[in-house]
Amino acid sequence: MLQLTNLRKSFGSLRAVDDVSLEIRPGEIFGLLGPNGAGKTTTVSLAVGLLKPDSGTARVGGGDPLNPEIRSKVGVATQALALYEDLTGEENLRFFSKIQGLSGTTLNQRVGWALEFSQLSDRRKDRVKTYSGGMQRRLNMAVALVHEPPLLLLDEPTVGVDPQSRKAIFESILALRREGRAILYTTHYMEEAQRLCDRVGIMDRGKLLALDSVDNLIRDHGGRDVLITECSDGEKRTETDDPVAELEKLRQKGPLHRFRVERPDLETVFLNLTGKTLRD
Amino acid sequence: MKQILALAGKDLRLLLRDKAGAFFVFFFPLLFAIFFGLIFSGAGDEQSSIPIALVDEDSSAGSAKFIEKLNKAAELEVLPTTRSQAISLVRSGKRAAYVVLTKGFGPASDRMFWGDAAKIELGLDPSRKAEAGMLEGVLTRYFMEGFQANFTDRGKMRGHLQESIAAMNTAPDSERAYWSPLANSLKMMDDFFAQPTVSGDSGQSGEESSGWQPLKVEVSDVSVKRVGPKNPFDVTFPQSVIWGLIGCAAAFGISLVVERSKGTLVRLRMAPLSRRQVLTGKAVACFVSNLGVSLLMIALAIAAFNVRPYSLPWLALAIVCCSLCFTGIMMLLSVMGRTEASASGIGWAVLLVMSMIGGGMIPIFFMPPWMRLVGSFSPVKWAIITLEGAVWRGFSPVTMLAHCALLLGIGTVFFAIGATIFTRRGD
Ligand SMILES: Nc1ncnc2c1ncn2[C@@H]1O[C@H](COP(=O)(O)OP(=O)(O)OP(=O)(O)O)[C@@H](O)[C@H]1O
Ligand SMILES: [Mg+2]
Repeated sequence: MLQLTNLRKSFGSLRAVDDVSLEIRPGEIFGLLGPNGAGKTTTVSLAVGLLKPDSGTARVGGGDPLNPEIRSKVGVATQALALYEDLTGEENLRFFSKIQGLSGTTLNQRVGWALEFSQLSDRRKDRVKTYSGGMQRRLNMAVALVHEPPLLLLDEPTVGVDPQSRKAIFESILALRREGRAILYTTHYMEEAQRLCDRVGIMDRGKLLALDSVDNLIRDHGGRDVLITECSDGEKRTETDDPVAELEKLRQKGPLHRFRVERPDLETVFLNLTGKTLRD
Repeated sequence: MKQILALAGKDLRLLLRDKAGAFFVFFFPLLFAIFFGLIFSGAGDEQSSIPIALVDEDSSAGSAKFIEKLNKAAELEVLPTTRSQAISLVRSGKRAAYVVLTKGFGPASDRMFWGDAAKIELGLDPSRKAEAGMLEGVLTRYFMEGFQANFTDRGKMRGHLQESIAAMNTAPDSERAYWSPLANSLKMMDDFFAQPTVSGDSGQSGEESSGWQPLKVEVSDVSVKRVGPKNPFDVTFPQSVIWGLIGCAAAFGISLVVERSKGTLVRLRMAPLSRRQVLTGKAVACFVSNLGVSLLMIALAIAAFNVRPYSLPWLALAIVCCSLCFTGIMMLLSVMGRTEASASGIGWAVLLVMSMIGGGMIPIFFMPPWMRLVGSFSPVKWAIITLEGAVWRGFSPVTMLAHCALLLGIGTVFFAIGATIFTRRGD
């Protein structure tokens, strides 16, 4: 559904996106994981034709997103909230639906659905500027979905959303996957990527450093488990492929107060790939 | 097309919700028109005397005396001139009416009860019926004052009477029979005036003169080619239309910047819309509100402020052209600032200067020539002149079309520059 091939985009001397290739298939959630400034939003902008690549191609369903008609296949939940604050939630949804070419009963149905989705049915007649941050975030995502596009680009859609709503958003994203949508999900929360995404691309300084399923990434780049033991002379960290055997060995040397095993996760993968932590 | 309407509809809705915007688009222009209109009406109060051109074709002592009276009259503002001058002054609207004291006026006004009446020709625009009636009344009154003075001046009165009796006696026989009853009564009156009395107020005697009238006012129509505004609101309402257009241009120019800074522009550009459609939507919204505000102002001017446009169809065309011109100005404003604050600051600064030199604040005809020349660089001047052309300047179709074409040209150039810069800005 989305195909990015050797995409490059620079702002002046800064390479925001540097030779990125990836493909997202229908019914797949693809996570783009990277720290601030990695180039995630720039990649999204290239994918929806908002920016013109310096080189490489972006294709949506085989077409060039620089062509307006192709863009109707894409729904984007922008990272920066983009809503008309002086219009009500419903008016925003109606307006963006019309822009997408919806009309009549379809429009009414879809707006009703989107209000349900964003849990704003009871606030539909209030102006957006009176909404809380989380409500605005949910509406911002609903706007991306209102015209039922086959490709969804969700740029950090859960920022500032409370855990309950976040859970609801996750569930709806999973439901959208079941409907066969292709979803690009950018985040710098590795738990989200780990939990939600079929495949993950690790991005830093414009480059896609690795791209695979979460399990494979951890296997290939996570390194070994770490066994942490506590005895009378303090804490000890041991890297190992077999924590059980290692624990057995250490117990024979002397009494242990406590132990735990740290398994590699995407954080470790990222650390190993870039030499820095995601949270920097 | 539907999408463009959706875009425009959204913008109009936003404009109505924006109280500051609505103030500048609607209330301020209206306030301006009424406030300055009232100021100028006040200034015109001493002008409530009717300006007339006066022609003395008689040049007699009698006409000079009458003219002296008119000169002192508070109701009139008299300019002595020749007949042809007088007619052209009225035709060009510089004088409300001309008054000609025809040959024989002096002797006729000194004469009583017989002979031809003193004749005054009064020429004015047929549409000014009220003034015509008033002028006739004023002229007759001053004339009769002089006439009454003759009555109360006993010596003069007797002179007149004897003169009249003598005239009657020398009249041909056929007429003498007709005059004889009058001659008798005149004789009696002469006797009456001969005895000294305290009160000499007996002007009524003239009634006996059976059909004779002392003054004849002949009114003739002069079709006026209007050049001056008839009503201060003729001037202030075209200005208020401009203020409405300025308000709209500012509001929509800024709204485009706000769309950029709030990210909704990005959202529009991610939608299946071309940049051209996005701009067209904005332009349509701006044009529609320009049109709405202009029509509202003019409707109010006509309904409540007695503004009588010279030509409604031309005015409609002028409004359309002004609205289009200011849509172009809006487009240019929208690329002048990056943030809402800077766009608003720069936009208003540009618009206010444009309005100031272009006659949006102080009417162009109050300006010295060099300032008018400077003003020619302001689209506001051309917009105002075009509106005035249809309201009171009475432009010919050719002049009108030329001005409309100029406005469209300015609008197109500004729009093209603005749209190009807007589209070039990638982000
Ligand atoms: N319009 C622009 N002009 C100049 N530089 C830009 C522009 N947009 C992005 N950049 C730069 O490109 C780099 C990548 O930015 P981008 O917004 O894609 O990062 P991101 O991964 O989305 O970060 P975040 O997690 O903070 O959203 C950054 O260094 C940013 O400063
Ligand atoms: Mg981003």
